[in-house]
Amino acid sequence: MKLSALQQSYINRRSNSFRSSGPLDSSSDSAIKSPAAIFWLILHGLCCLISLVLGFRFSRLVFFFLFSTSSTNFYTSPFRSTAELAKTLDVHSVLSTNPVTNPDLLLLNKTATNSRVVVGRHGIRIRPWPHPNPIEVMKAHRIIQRVQKEQRLQFGVKDPRTVIVVTPTYVRTFQALHLTGVMHSLMLVPYDLVWIVVEAGGVSNETASLIAKSGLKTIHVGFNQRMLNSWDERNKLESKMRLRALRIIREKKLDGIVMFADDSNMHSMELFDEIQNVKWFGALSVGILANLVNTDEKTDQKKEEEENPRMPVQGPACNASNMLGGWHTFNTLPFAGKSAVYIDDRATVLPRKLEWSGFVLNSRLLWKDGGDKPEWIKDVDMLDGDIENPLGLIKDPSVVEPLGSCGRQVLLWWLRVEARADSKFPPRWIIDPPLEITVPSKRTPWPDAPPELPANEKPVMGIQEPIVKHSTKTRTSRSKRRSKRKHETRTDTQVSTRQSEQN
Amino acid sequence: MGSVERSKKKVQLWKKAIVHFSLCFVMGFFTGFAPTGKDSIFSSRVATENKSQISPQPVQTLNQSATAVHSSNVSRSLRAETPVPVPAKSKELESPKQVDTHEVIKLPDRRLIIVVTPTSTKDQFQGVLLRRLANTIKLVPQPLLWIVVEGKSDSNEVSEILRKTGIMYRHLVFKENFTDPEAEQNHQRNMALKHIEHHKLSGIVHFAGLSNVYDLDFFKELRQIEVFGTWPMALLSANKRKVVIEGPVCDSSQVIGWHLRKMNNHTDAETDAEPKPPIHISSFAFNSSILWDPERWGRPTSVQGTSQNSLKFVKQVVLEDETKLKGIPPEECSKIMLWRLRFPIGVVPRD
Amino acid sequence: MRRCLWGFLFIAFALAWSIAAEHNPRTERISGSAGDVLEDDPVGRLKVYVYELPSKYNKKILQKDPRCLSHMFAAEIFMHRFLLSSPVRTLNPEEADWFYTPIYATCDLTPNGLPLPFKSPRMVRSAIQLISSSWPYWNRTEGADHFFVVPHDFGACFHYQEEKAIERGILPILQHATLVQTFGQRNHVCLNEGSITIPPYAPPQKMQAHQIPPDTPRSIFVYFRGLFYDVNNDPEGGYYARGARAAVWENFKNNPLFDISTEHPTTYYEDMQRAIFCLCPLGWAPWSPRLVEAVVFGCIPVIIADDIVLPFADAIPWEEIGVFVAEEDVPKLDAILTSIPPEVILRKQRLLANPSMKRAMLFPQPAQPGDAFHQILNGLARKLPHQKSIYLKPGEKMLNWTAGPVGDLKPW
Repeated sequence: MKLSALQQSYINRRSNSFRSSGPLDSSSDSAIKSPAAIFWLILHGLCCLISLVLGFRFSRLVFFFLFSTSSTNFYTSPFRSTAELAKTLDVHSVLSTNPVTNPDLLLLNKTATNSRVVVGRHGIRIRPWPHPNPIEVMKAHRIIQRVQKEQRLQFGVKDPRTVIVVTPTYVRTFQALHLTGVMHSLMLVPYDLVWIVVEAGGVSNETASLIAKSGLKTIHVGFNQRMLNSWDERNKLESKMRLRALRIIREKKLDGIVMFADDSNMHSMELFDEIQNVKWFGALSVGILANLVNTDEKTDQKKEEEENPRMPVQGPACNASNMLGGWHTFNTLPFAGKSAVYIDDRATVLPRKLEWSGFVLNSRLLWKDGGDKPEWIKDVDMLDGDIENPLGLIKDPSVVEPLGSCGRQVLLWWLRVEARADSKFPPRWIIDPPLEITVPSKRTPWPDAPPELPANEKPVMGIQEPIVKHSTKTRTSRSKRRSKRKHETRTDTQVSTRQSEQN
Repeated sequence: MGSVERSKKKVQLWKKAIVHFSLCFVMGFFTGFAPTGKDSIFSSRVATENKSQISPQPVQTLNQSATAVHSSNVSRSLRAETPVPVPAKSKELESPKQVDTHEVIKLPDRRLIIVVTPTSTKDQFQGVLLRRLANTIKLVPQPLLWIVVEGKSDSNEVSEILRKTGIMYRHLVFKENFTDPEAEQNHQRNMALKHIEHHKLSGIVHFAGLSNVYDLDFFKELRQIEVFGTWPMALLSANKRKVVIEGPVCDSSQVIGWHLRKMNNHTDAETDAEPKPPIHISSFAFNSSILWDPERWGRPTSVQGTSQNSLKFVKQVVLEDETKLKGIPPEECSKIMLWRLRFPIGVVPRD
Repeated sequence: MRRCLWGFLFIAFALAWSIAAEHNPRTERISGSAGDVLEDDPVGRLKVYVYELPSKYNKKILQKDPRCLSHMFAAEIFMHRFLLSSPVRTLNPEEADWFYTPIYATCDLTPNGLPLPFKSPRMVRSAIQLISSSWPYWNRTEGADHFFVVPHDFGACFHYQEEKAIERGILPILQHATLVQTFGQRNHVCLNEGSITIPPYAPPQKMQAHQIPPDTPRSIFVYFRGLFYDVNNDPEGGYYARGARAAVWENFKNNPLFDISTEHPTTYYEDMQRAIFCLCPLGWAPWSPRLVEAVVFGCIPVIIADDIVLPFADAIPWEEIGVFVAEEDVPKLDAILTSIPPEVILRKQRLLANPSMKRAMLFPQPAQPGDAFHQILNGLARKLPHQKSIYLKPGEKMLNWTAGPVGDLKPW
């Protein structure tokens, strides 16, 4: 009897779950756990759970509104009242808590089979929240990075070898400028990289602090000789410094591709992919930016432009069968008698016959026990240190592998510019003591009433720190055009850098 | 069981159930306020994050109210006539958001840097220097937008170089011909500024010439600029002895004066016609909103047609309001982070 | 009773909520063998008879204006040329499965190069009159085994303005025929059930010439070049692109990630190849050549056109390769795009890199296996065999030759 009653109640509850009173009663009464009671408990638990989740969700909505609307207010509509805000909240809660009553949704059901598109005039929807959203921006950048990484994985070099970069350097005015440029290229290399920096005159804080910023694996070693003041001697010393680096590679048995990056080089990022193709000993073309002549020679330069409109290139030359046929060298003829001997000289610095930076080699060539290392390589330890270029490392120049579409592609450049050897600069480029004020503040730097003094006699011009001593003499080279014309006669040899500085 | 008792029990039962439900609801409600994962509630990122966590409905609501708010401001916009429900498609697209919520929170929120570089095919070393500058810019943390302006030419060298860098850049090309390179560069800069103005891009604008070399920390400092910023730079010339340093002299980050190599020799008339400040164009940066929202910075919108010569406008504004000018680095502006190689650029015919 | 109601509402809400949640996953229509369908060879699966029409219906028109060879609707001309030399062509009309009437209906351009299809109805009518009187095949089915290439904006409605086009409807005498058209809007009066939707014509050689190496890093997040407002034709705004393009501009012009502009650079094709997403919003019609360009250049198309019917949708898995954004969701475009997981993006890119997808979008000269011509034939072949019901009883007439605007009834 009881069982049947229970059954009845069960059916009852199923048919109209909450309205019937009997089942509730019986389930609460029955001591034994009847199926109905279990069902009721489960239902109860389920409802509890649902309300828990609902509460959670609702609170998040409230939370979201508190923040989003406040930020919206901040950016777009500062005069939005709290009442409005509440209204939005209201509208929203209706939407979220009772979607069945939402007329839009009903509309959807009705029109689902038809095209939703209405012919005629539509609104132009503009969102009120701030844009661009910084979070979205960062997410998008992450996507871009990911896509680019995937492209590299798919199309880039498979199983790349470590790149071992050898750079001779020394502390001087142009070091920061040159070395920073090279360092940035190296930092972008997507492969393992070891940077061996050999510094003439011993390891200095100046250089160390500079290269520390790279975050690269660096080996910074000093070289016990000071850099000398003639280009020829500098070249020789640099060769020795590079050999020193090669011996380090030999000692440490570094495995990879050795490249020579002078601090005056500039690199295309494709270079680092291209050198991965080298088996033993490769050569690349180097673009020579030597037309960097001073204005004294402007006329010559123009003439030369006409004769030789293309940038001179030094590097391997191929024969018809794409084998190494010879070398393109720099045509020094136009510079006969005008090339720089000392670093001070205001003439074009000419490259040597072949620059080190145009060569790459497999580091195993340098190892003592290279295993499968070819016969034609000389032992680095046997060399005295006065080889002029890497070809001195090998016995047979025909084994050189021309890289970069047989040297037709120029992937690195050479720009030898230096300040005069006696040029000084603030240590680590920190200005101390402070600069002298030439134009006081609370005035625009271009005063209304221009000082009408011949600039020569103005002692305040130029840098007054002790380290730069001759500031009084150096001036007005960068006069404005108009003023320039005025002072034409007075401006000395440092003319015509005007253009570039306005860049 | 009497019916009264029965109903009483029923009522009690219901009460119990309701109490349970509401208890659970309240519990859920408060757990909702608990911070998710590691992040703090008070970080604004969480707030933005929530926006994505919740179903699109709230956004939708905002959306509708948005049209209402804006229809008054924007002449073109109309009130949306057809509030159509969110189609399932975009909903689906939004759902994967939850997957990487935690990663997103880690993303730093950095200010946009807009680097403007004018370049000319007349410059012999254009390609090389552009690559060098690109290598530096590529290392700068996102977001950064590089605007490269170039005269129309048959060569697509610049496009090709830029394309390979992977940097987010915009390459603007103009048709006008110039004989004076300085006028050309000013035109180029103006073009870039016009682009920024037209698009209402918001960021810190910096003019980077091709022969500039940067310490990467420079860009970190650049992001700290609110309105205007200025810094000392070193100008290096080949085969010369002298190092020229120009720029602001600061007391911490307050500009107290300028160290400029030369004074202005212009007459008043000339200054009015075309002010040529001796401060180097690469030596200052500014918040781009000054271009398209000058009122925000307390300047009348009608200020002599900004569209005519934005560059001139910016230069004026930067130097008129020295109080807003921030010297970087904030330690007495004492670190050089920008070097500029001065050399006569190849074949540019001048004079 | 109240409590019951409360409880009921509560349960109802919970239910509705769970339903809504379940509604989320997009119903995917992926013909699992999408790739295979694209690779299908139509030869041997159908035979097409090409009517010989006087050259005034085609070649003469083209002679008058050779620009017709390069605009978006040039498919009608190239399809004719293709069929003439195709192995599916038969010279025996008795064995033909399909009949093709070569009319260049869209080749009537304004000085600016915009096609104006006002004469087209009369021209089509005149051609059908001709074939129905010279051959018995039209009258057999009143066109049910005939297909017409009508690539214009609103297909066989022959009007460039949507409202007018809807008013006109599909040309009455074409109502039984199968239409090959670029226009595609679901449940639109101008789109017949069973029409074959084709991509607009984009110059294949030119696109080929601008190809750049695939390892070029993609550095643009979203790319778009084109109009946002059509001020001349829609001074009020809101009609053009149903306001969607204007919304793109107003919401995202200031977003550095959105490389959007009205200026068309010379590097347009190259830029698409270094973009991750390419916006393909509707214009006056739901589609634009951008769709073709995006697919060919491996840029994920972001399709903003509600209820668009995409070209060869039965063969190309558009949901897989593209992103669909509802017109009203344009303000959320950045959130929508940035929330796509990178894996999904990479997968879309991989699918887009599939050469069969690119091929199906183009009308190359000469034709190549798997190109858009072949996809049209595949589509026609899939409709075979014809149902018996299309053949009319002797003497039966279903078409009303005098229906339609009076202007269309005038002789051509």
